[in-house]
Amino acid sequence: MTKAIEVRDIIKRYRVKKRLGILKSITEFIDALKGVSFSVDYGEVVGLLGPNGAGKTTTIKILSTLLLPDDGEAYVAGYNVVEEQNEVRKRIGIMLSVEKGFYGKLTGRENLEYFAALYGLDGKRSRERIDYLLKLLELDKLGGDYKLFEEFSLGMKARLSLARALLSDAPILLLDEPTLGLDPPSARKIRELVKDLAHRENKAILYTTHNMFEAELVCDKILLINKGRIVADGTPQELKSRIPKLKVITLDIRGKGSIDKVLKDLEEKYEFKEENGIYEVRIHVHRPEEVFNETVRKFINNGFEILSARIEEPTLEDVFIYFSEGSS
Amino acid sequence: MSFIVLLKAEYMLVYSEVMRRKSALMAIIIYPYLFAGLTLFVGFSAGSPQSFVERVGIDPIVFMVTASYMIMAITTGVDDILWRPLSDSWIGTLVYIIASPVNKLKLFMAMPIPRLTLLLMMGFTSILPIYVAFYGLYGVSLTIVVVALSAIGALVMTPLGIAISGLMHVASESWRILSIVRPLLFVFLGAYYPRMFMPLVLRLISYSIPSSYTVELVQRLLIGIASIDIVVLLGLSIALAAIYVPLGRKSINYWEKKKVREGVKAH
Repeated sequence: MTKAIEVRDIIKRYRVKKRLGILKSITEFIDALKGVSFSVDYGEVVGLLGPNGAGKTTTIKILSTLLLPDDGEAYVAGYNVVEEQNEVRKRIGIMLSVEKGFYGKLTGRENLEYFAALYGLDGKRSRERIDYLLKLLELDKLGGDYKLFEEFSLGMKARLSLARALLSDAPILLLDEPTLGLDPPSARKIRELVKDLAHRENKAILYTTHNMFEAELVCDKILLINKGRIVADGTPQELKSRIPKLKVITLDIRGKGSIDKVLKDLEEKYEFKEENGIYEVRIHVHRPEEVFNETVRKFINNGFEILSARIEEPTLEDVFIYFSEGSS
Repeated sequence: MSFIVLLKAEYMLVYSEVMRRKSALMAIIIYPYLFAGLTLFVGFSAGSPQSFVERVGIDPIVFMVTASYMIMAITTGVDDILWRPLSDSWIGTLVYIIASPVNKLKLFMAMPIPRLTLLLMMGFTSILPIYVAFYGLYGVSLTIVVVALSAIGALVMTPLGIAISGLMHVASESWRILSIVRPLLFVFLGAYYPRMFMPLVLRLISYSIPSSYTVELVQRLLIGIASIDIVVLLGLSIALAAIYVPLGRKSINYWEKKKVREGVKAH
């Protein structure tokens, strides 16, 4: 059976102008994608996971026929995205932005009617489909029928955006950060729906996000992308199991010492965040029992108070850091 | 993909925008009066109505009101085609239009019709009272003819508008070019400045614009012409529009390809 999406060695290079003054500039090239290959089957949600600028949106745009690759081949439903654009367009539903992309003076329903017409849907067929989608996404309860798009909340806009992606009942969905900036109930609704669409309606879904938690919840398979390369792929469990010896020492600390000075001395990979004067430091180690005491002592000697210290299993975020740092 | 389906969608889009944005509706109603009033004010300040009648052969009030109405109808149709790629890009809808399987030429052909319909109706509030005042009951039938010819004038302009739009929007900051193209169209249509008074070079450019023939036809109609001219001018107008159809198709395809090559922005 044909793969829903097949990408082979896609390369995309952007030309950017570097301004050196009012009149002076030089042209530079940025490699957005450096030979990306992957495939997506029908009935699965594949997450394209990576930080900003990793190449997620570029990949989605190439597959949506909105951008041409410089090299490599990509097929959607068996059709080449460069040579058979119209065939590809008939078979995809896209969601590229949560906030924009609708006409402000049209209601949610009217917006969907307009976009349905672009897919050749009219009259009863269009009405029935829109009724179904408004109900499915609970927009009927939120006033999607009579509220103008400019009066929509962000959560409603996101739901409407997903409804548009589903208008033509396309077998392949390309969703670019569909829950970005949404409140938890709206994000949860979209995540549940995405899983249902893949598993019950056998749709192939490519889902980009930089939210590890979300990727773990939604995706059957994850592609870790960083700096234009796929650095690892597999199910969330497979990815975690590929770094079996890796553990994480997590310390919650407080103090007036220089955290940079302590972290600089660490030989292991780490990340940290600070909230209200409390630092959460996560250090990736292979044998935590050997370094735990020494690590804790370093922080105490530098004027930090240890609020809690524990050894944890790696999260998907740790997996991402592990692989992406390896790639760079 | 049916043209009618797209046309219905465009009607819904434009009428919702116009009716729910009161300022836009008011502008459509007031604009013909404002435009004609301003030109007449300048005309009466600079010259005498008698010399206008001697040179052009029509009363300046009838001429200017008719010219304003025709210009409004024709440029509004073209404006929709010229501005929509830009406004869709700003709103963020362009990306979804390009990524849809819709026939872009058909969509562009449908774009100007809803607003044009609205404007044509305005003929009964703008030119009808003036014509009735000048020509009596004959003014009513004259209004119907001028409205019909304005409709033809706007529709035959569509393929050329698409051709210009496609070429123009491949450039960055195309809105700057648009603000040059629009007044040029005003001049070359010959509505305010009849073609017969234009220098040869301008006249040749004017001949290449399909709507300029319908404008000339209306002007001759107001002066009083032989019936054969109607057929010739209408024929030229439609024939020229037909010539621009393949050019419009190529232009819109070129624009779409260029956009995709650069990457359509999703904002």
